[in-house]
Amino acid sequence: MTRIALQLSINGERHEVVTEPHRTLLDVLRADLGLTGTKENCLEAECGVCTVLLDGRAVNACILLAAQCQGRDVLTIEGLERDGRLHPLQQAFIDHGAVQCGYCIPAMILSAKAFLDECPAPTESQVREALAGNLCRCTGYQKIADAVLAAARDLAHLR
Amino acid sequence: MSFYYHEPTSLAEAIALGEEFGADGRFLAGGTDLMIQMRRGKLDPRHVVSLHRIPGLDDVSVDGAVTLGTLVTHRTLERHPAFQGRLRALREGAEVIGGRQVRNVATVGGNIANASPAADIVPVLLALDATVKCVSPAGERAIPLDAFLVGPGETVRQPGEVLTSVRFPALPARSATAFLKAGRRKAMEISVVCVAARLVLDEEGERCVEARIALGAVAPRTSRAQSAERALEGRTPTPEALRQAGRLAAAECRPINDVRASARYRAHLVETLVSRALGRCLERIAEEAA
Repeated sequence: MTRIALQLSINGERHEVVTEPHRTLLDVLRADLGLTGTKENCLEAECGVCTVLLDGRAVNACILLAAQCQGRDVLTIEGLERDGRLHPLQQAFIDHGAVQCGYCIPAMILSAKAFLDECPAPTESQVREALAGNLCRCTGYQKIADAVLAAARDLAHLR
Repeated sequence: MSFYYHEPTSLAEAIALGEEFGADGRFLAGGTDLMIQMRRGKLDPRHVVSLHRIPGLDDVSVDGAVTLGTLVTHRTLERHPAFQGRLRALREGAEVIGGRQVRNVATVGGNIANASPAADIVPVLLALDATVKCVSPAGERAIPLDAFLVGPGETVRQPGEVLTSVRFPALPARSATAFLKAGRRKAMEISVVCVAARLVLDEEGERCVEARIALGAVAPRTSRAQSAERALEGRTPTPEALRQAGRLAAAECRPINDVRASARYRAHLVETLVSRALGRCLERIAEEAA
């Protein structure tokens, strides 16, 4: 099978990857680039742990071909902190104890980021609706919703 | 899964690739179904032809009629101002599919071509008398959606033929649409039953001029409840007339028992959801008139 050369922009850095056309963005992130903050689980866009932002929108990296990402901007959890400072969402998840096993959290935070970028002052039910594509089997979601609402307030102060 | 990958940058190029590969090729739109079918081994195309570099296929055009390009996403339907008023059912169908991650990429064309009996956008488009446009080297075909759908995963689209858009007439005054879905939970759920309705009233706002009722997940394909539609047309849509339409729709649907629900429960849901969706249409017509 032929291999293809891809130029990918991930967390603001350009990466050259040579890979087979059937490999997903998730495969390339984890196996080729070592960016294992993006998790792998159901591989059918049901659980949401592989969520990354593509041109600012939340997508499931498990069903997206790496080839489709050529020339587009990918943001993973590794790209969220700035100069060693956590993003307000990351800090809020810590402050609210919104993390138990942690497996779903990178994706949860990225979904929340895409949502807050679009809807900076949400209600709790809007937060819950926006995160419906991210399953968490530990927390019961309450602390996650609390953390996202707190981060929305923090981000409003920073603006 | 393993395949050759192609990214045509024009429709002409995609059509040529479609003809070359025939049944060995698959067009990739949002990939939310195709990728999963390939990973499960249910589909194993030798060539995958992505449509996403072809300009214009994600356009929404609203003039006398509404045209949705095949790559219009569910997220676009949710947010587009054209689908907040009389055409609200399109937004209502789009916003209950998967999570945001799926709605950001899943397309209108994919939902139609995939022909799942439980598709959520398809009943809405059927209730809007939509027509599907397909293009191949033989030319362009405009196929009424009702004639396009055959069975589960099956349509009249030929291998290599590109579904480029879907089109339906704009709605006149005194008309409205509604979509209702029953699943086992609110989010991330395949429909147990879904119902789309469209009503058009006469100038006095009293009699029903046109009724469309489309049902999902209760037959091998999305289909219209035509006896229920006929029972409403030309009549005054009283609460009893809406209940009667629900009973007729329940009688003519052909649900099955499966892991999600029994056939009997599905028929019961059809009866309730059809009369409720019709009631919503009447409420919306009244709101707009007020």
